[in-house]
Amino acid sequence: MSDQSNQTTYWKSLNELAQNKEYEKYVEREFPENASEMTDQVSRRSFLRVMGASIALAGFASCRKPVQKILPFSRMPEDIVLGEPLFYASAMPFQDSVTGLLVENNEGRPRKVEGNREHPSSGGGTNIYHQASVLNLYDPDRSRSPLRGGEQATLADFVLFAEEHFADRNQPILFIDEASSSPTYHRLKEQILEEFPNAEWVTYEPFSDNNALEGTQIAFGQRLRTVNHYDRANIVLSLDNDFMSPQNNKNSVEDTYKIAETRKVSSTDDEMSRIYCVENSFSNTGSFADHRLRVKTSQIPSFLYALAARLSQDVDGLSSFEEISNDFSDHEWIDILADDLLENTENSVITAGSQHSPAVHAAVAAINMALGNIGNTVTYHELPFGSDRNENESFTAAINDLNSGTYSTAVILGTNPVYTAPANLNIQQALESVETAINLSDYVTETSRLSNWHVNRAHFLETWGDGLSYTGQRSIIQPQIQPLFGGISEIEFLDIILNGDDPVGYDLVRETWADVIDGDFEDQWEQILHDGIDPDSGFEATSVSLTGDLSAAIQDDLANGPIDGIEISIKPDNKLFDGRYANNSWLQELPESMTKVTWDNVALMSPATARNLGIDPERSFSSDDVPVVRITANGTTIEIAAWVQPGHADDSITLTTGYGRENIGRVADGVGVDTYPLRTTSNMFFQSAEVEATGTTYEIACTQDHQSLEGRDMIRTASLEEYKENPDFATYQSVHGYQVPGLEEAEAEGDSKGPISLFDESYGPDYEPQWGMAIDLNSCFGCGVCTIACQAENNIPVVGKREVARRRVMHWIRNDRYYAGDEENPDAYHQPVPCMHCELAPCEQVCPVAATTHSDDGMNQMTYNRCIGTRYCANNCPYKVRRFNFFNYSKEYLTTGDDPEIIQMAMNPDVTVRFRGVMEKCTYCVQRVNRAKIKAKNETGSPKPVDGSVETACQQACPTKAISFGDLTDRNSTVSQHKMDSRNYTMLEELNVRPRTSYLAKLSNPHTELKPSNQENHSQH
Amino acid sequence: MSKTYEYVPEPALVKGNHDFKDITAMITDINIRPTPKGWYVAFGIANMLLLLLLGSIGYLVWEGTGIWGLNSPVGWGWAIINFVWWVGIGHAGTLISAILFLFRQGWRTAINRFAEAMTIFAVMCAGIFPAIHVGRIWVVYWMFPLPNQMLMWPNFNSPLLWDVFAVSTYFTVSLLFWYVGLVPDLATVRDRIKSKIGKMAYGVFALGWRGSNRHWWNYEKSYMILAGLATPLVLSVHTIVSFDFAVSIIPGWHTTIFPPYFVAGAVFSGFAMVLSLMIICRKIYGLEDIMTIDHMEKMNIVVLVTGTMVGFAYIMEQFIAWYSGVEYEKFIFMMRAAGPYAWAYWIMFACNVFSPQFFWSKKLRRNVTFTFIISIIVNIGMWFERFVITVTSLSTDFLPSSWGYYSPTIWDVATYVGTFGLFFTFFLLFLRFLPMVAVAELKGVMPQADPHNYDEDGEFVPPKVEVPEPYKNQTNQ
Repeated sequence: MSDQSNQTTYWKSLNELAQNKEYEKYVEREFPENASEMTDQVSRRSFLRVMGASIALAGFASCRKPVQKILPFSRMPEDIVLGEPLFYASAMPFQDSVTGLLVENNEGRPRKVEGNREHPSSGGGTNIYHQASVLNLYDPDRSRSPLRGGEQATLADFVLFAEEHFADRNQPILFIDEASSSPTYHRLKEQILEEFPNAEWVTYEPFSDNNALEGTQIAFGQRLRTVNHYDRANIVLSLDNDFMSPQNNKNSVEDTYKIAETRKVSSTDDEMSRIYCVENSFSNTGSFADHRLRVKTSQIPSFLYALAARLSQDVDGLSSFEEISNDFSDHEWIDILADDLLENTENSVITAGSQHSPAVHAAVAAINMALGNIGNTVTYHELPFGSDRNENESFTAAINDLNSGTYSTAVILGTNPVYTAPANLNIQQALESVETAINLSDYVTETSRLSNWHVNRAHFLETWGDGLSYTGQRSIIQPQIQPLFGGISEIEFLDIILNGDDPVGYDLVRETWADVIDGDFEDQWEQILHDGIDPDSGFEATSVSLTGDLSAAIQDDLANGPIDGIEISIKPDNKLFDGRYANNSWLQELPESMTKVTWDNVALMSPATARNLGIDPERSFSSDDVPVVRITANGTTIEIAAWVQPGHADDSITLTTGYGRENIGRVADGVGVDTYPLRTTSNMFFQSAEVEATGTTYEIACTQDHQSLEGRDMIRTASLEEYKENPDFATYQSVHGYQVPGLEEAEAEGDSKGPISLFDESYGPDYEPQWGMAIDLNSCFGCGVCTIACQAENNIPVVGKREVARRRVMHWIRNDRYYAGDEENPDAYHQPVPCMHCELAPCEQVCPVAATTHSDDGMNQMTYNRCIGTRYCANNCPYKVRRFNFFNYSKEYLTTGDDPEIIQMAMNPDVTVRFRGVMEKCTYCVQRVNRAKIKAKNETGSPKPVDGSVETACQQACPTKAISFGDLTDRNSTVSQHKMDSRNYTMLEELNVRPRTSYLAKLSNPHTELKPSNQENHSQH
Repeated sequence: MSKTYEYVPEPALVKGNHDFKDITAMITDINIRPTPKGWYVAFGIANMLLLLLLGSIGYLVWEGTGIWGLNSPVGWGWAIINFVWWVGIGHAGTLISAILFLFRQGWRTAINRFAEAMTIFAVMCAGIFPAIHVGRIWVVYWMFPLPNQMLMWPNFNSPLLWDVFAVSTYFTVSLLFWYVGLVPDLATVRDRIKSKIGKMAYGVFALGWRGSNRHWWNYEKSYMILAGLATPLVLSVHTIVSFDFAVSIIPGWHTTIFPPYFVAGAVFSGFAMVLSLMIICRKIYGLEDIMTIDHMEKMNIVVLVTGTMVGFAYIMEQFIAWYSGVEYEKFIFMMRAAGPYAWAYWIMFACNVFSPQFFWSKKLRRNVTFTFIISIIVNIGMWFERFVITVTSLSTDFLPSSWGYYSPTIWDVATYVGTFGLFFTFFLLFLRFLPMVAVAELKGVMPQADPHNYDEDGEFVPPKVEVPEPYKNQTNQ
């Protein structure tokens, strides 16, 4: 963080460098044989050339040696110290919001993103998309040049074309873009719409909050963004809204840390919020909730209206619902929920998933209003870039017009409608028929292939840009590196259309900000760049009043009722979202947070539904083959692997999008099944379907083959009430009813460190810090960002589906997910498991060559150079956290393609890339620890960094701050405090391996009258 | 009150009333006569399998350990199973030659050479696996305490390191023991063989043996000393191999019963392997008079005893797991009998515990075909025992999230099958070029070598010489 102060001067100079045309010409002239290098795709050379001062190359002017892969910094650019990372603030756009980030740069290349603590959208945390974005930057399959009719062209060609083509300002043009929050983008958009009077502009996102906006339109007569302030809520009711997961919530990081904040418990005086979750599939939010009710997606409106009807008896403003009576009216949840909500008026949040109809959202708004939540826990905000139309409807209309030949030119920015648009729109045909189709995208997509012009888009880490966070904080996106493949950003693209000129993103952004910034522009600009946020920004809450006719709005829902028979619910994928991350191998290989499936999408169904379809709900332990089902809807049939999800609603099947790609990239191609063909304009999210088992099977690579805890005590839980009665519920004594064997004997001998041991118990010396970690299971909701962050930090290779299916996934920190209770309606628990860094480590005892040993600061270290790969350590690890390089994974991963240098740039120079045949595992991010220790020693003379100055990658990325790490010799450090917490426990304490990583037991806050979904108490085995 | 005991003489250890010359000829002629065609066929097959082994190892070194079916959590699979299995087989040789020698069990002489050869080749097969199963085969020598500039020593706490010492010591002593025993017989072949090269070769390895009294005296002493040295090794090797498992903390491995249980199992499988090989060889080479049904029966009794010991261990393990009250221990044994690998467990149980019980019947233990079948079954069973121990414990240990099923790949199978190529290549060479029975020692236990003319009461008894059939009429005349 302290490095931030350096950034502005540095970037200014880089920008100048990048603009140095004279210099480029000079180089091209001097190296005729390499001339293509400069204009061609990036190599390490050209990237370093930009980094290194021009003088460095000038020295080589007369040198005619072969291609030099690496050039030394013969004159070091300012602020760069080799081996010292630099951090720059930036922001990552995702649909129409951005999240504030810090980008770690190593030797001039962005390598890792972290959350920006100063930015409320992040609070220091990130989600999996943020962490994985670095790999997208270094994806060699990204489009590398503009294409004219599929033939390679240059950007100059496109600029020439655009200048000519867009000279006719009266032509009918259709712009289709994806949601963006960028002020510059919207400024240029306005200009274009002004300049081109016959242009139509529609925004299409396969998964947007359009329905929520429409809901506020119904309720308040305005399209307003809903912001839920979970930190102020005592009661949260989620109606099929997995708001903790990034695919369902653009603001998931902020919302998760805020809701986790309401559930942090450090003493028996603390209170927790209560979360109710009603949903069809088992989501992360559902697993985090205190009460979860499984209903079909199409039953959600009924549930909501029944609740509203019940509430209308006690509060005003819900008269539209008074008369409603349905299947849920007598449901035990309705009364209890209503009581709880009424007890906590002004302090509850009710939220519904964006897949639900505008009427549902309007009803939710009405209930929030009636309960007095609006203005406190729920606020509504006008979007500066908001459209006043139903975007999905205008998109449909625009495509129909396109099909009927209304437009001569279609410009498609970023989005990939050929793949994602509803199947009945025939967008493919429309694009084939339109005279000119121009597409800007990261990859050569389905849409690009149907376009006359494809322009390659630059990554957000490569370009200037800006954006607003979900709650309206303005940030500047600053490039960390020259575009690797010469792409341009969407603002530069718009500028080309507008001006037919070589665009300069930097100037475009500054132009926008010149209007926004008061006072001294340069000062403020640099300050905002430095902080990553404009402190004077943020949406104002709009005061709203219920104006709409709700009873009319809900008529459709009431008339239709829930779907009879089997419904399918199509949701954005946890990892690939709408398919935009399909070529990201980190995400593809990340176990899906509930199913733990990698490299595929599956049809989720309940055990009962599976049985009805003739599928055995019991998954074979010895085989990865799962049955395949055939799903028919809208006259389209897909075949997809069936996956039995305990806790899923019956007669409901959940599908996710983003898979089944062809010719996108090495990673994306041929993975999973495309589910978009099932979507139509009228049934975007859920609909009835015919489902049957095909009798065939398909191999699924799942990282967790066994789902039950088997009554073991790895996860310890209690309700808040139980915790208050017995704060020590998580101790071994409480769980088992007797003390850890050998502990009393040891205490009798005056040893308080643990049970008696035959081994040398010499601990690390006091003058060294003693590292330890505590993971608060009460804050973990299983998102998996720790795994991706760890992968990014520690150069962990991707191994591919086949190897994952063989159980050889390499993740150093995995997220175990257990179900407990009955299979129809279980509880789910998440438990991140890194190396435990045992003090009496069983792995260390058995290594024949002493390749894994203990450090003075209490870490269990792995010496790759010494390891011969007997795998004995992994066998003897009771936590099974050790990972073996069965093949030369890193080599495969880092040398594929024609220019492996690109993916290699994503590697952390401080972490060894492991060769085949060696064991590896979590190091507690020893490179970060040692950097901090060295710094502390230089500054204070003691190798003990102050608490908080060293964070592991998993800890840093975690949005809910579930992981604490630090020095155990410092009694005041957060981790020490956590370890003194009565909820602190270690896994497998009876083995006396004395893990340094411990867990804080999970608490829940169930309503006293509503029985928890799982009666079994897992601390009582 | 006096009781009369009837003296039951031991059956003669060599049948057929051969004289010394006969015996010499019977055994050493195999080495001297031209190579039979059948041998070439067998050798060819063995060589092909050996090539398969070399190919599999080559591919393994080239590609990495990943060609095997190993995974996380099951870090050890067929390689370690095969290692333990072959080491176990390698137990019979030294047990027969050293322990039975010290116990003065005369019957050992008919099979000791044979069994020792088998031991050496089995240990060679076994030794391959620890070397190749590591991830970085090219630095496997770091397991040895070699002085180096980094002063980096191996970890003497690690059972794998103990293995290195235990197996290499065992191999060295077994080889020496075998060779010392071979010296008088090599001299015999040297003296009998006609070809010059043969004379030369056997002559070199016979170390100038002339059969003088002094030679015999040295020979007997050294043989005795080596037998004394080898005896503890019989117990130690498999004890230490069992430590690979027992010293770990994995449920199902971490048990104190392992050392005796492994040694019993090793003797069990070793004897079964000797039986399998012996039954074939005595038939092909016509050595039924030397390796008699009585030998077979004695060995079958050992098989029965050790098999029952192993069965006892299996049941005891289950009992202790229950009695210990340790959740994970109980679970793993339940999983063995009823979990995903129950099929392997019950194959093991049936082969190792039930099948030897047939040997309670004297008729069956003297039945050659039946013995052969059981001996094969026992070796299959013992392979499965190692499979069950190695795989089940790792597959379902402490954290249910990490459980995983292990299945081998074609390369696991190829490597295992390939070791038979190595084994039989050497074994066939042994059969062809070395006297497969200890001729000199055998002569010492023949009835002819014990010309006592007194009975147990000291009364003179004229020697009862069984007169060979063709001469019977002449004597009567």
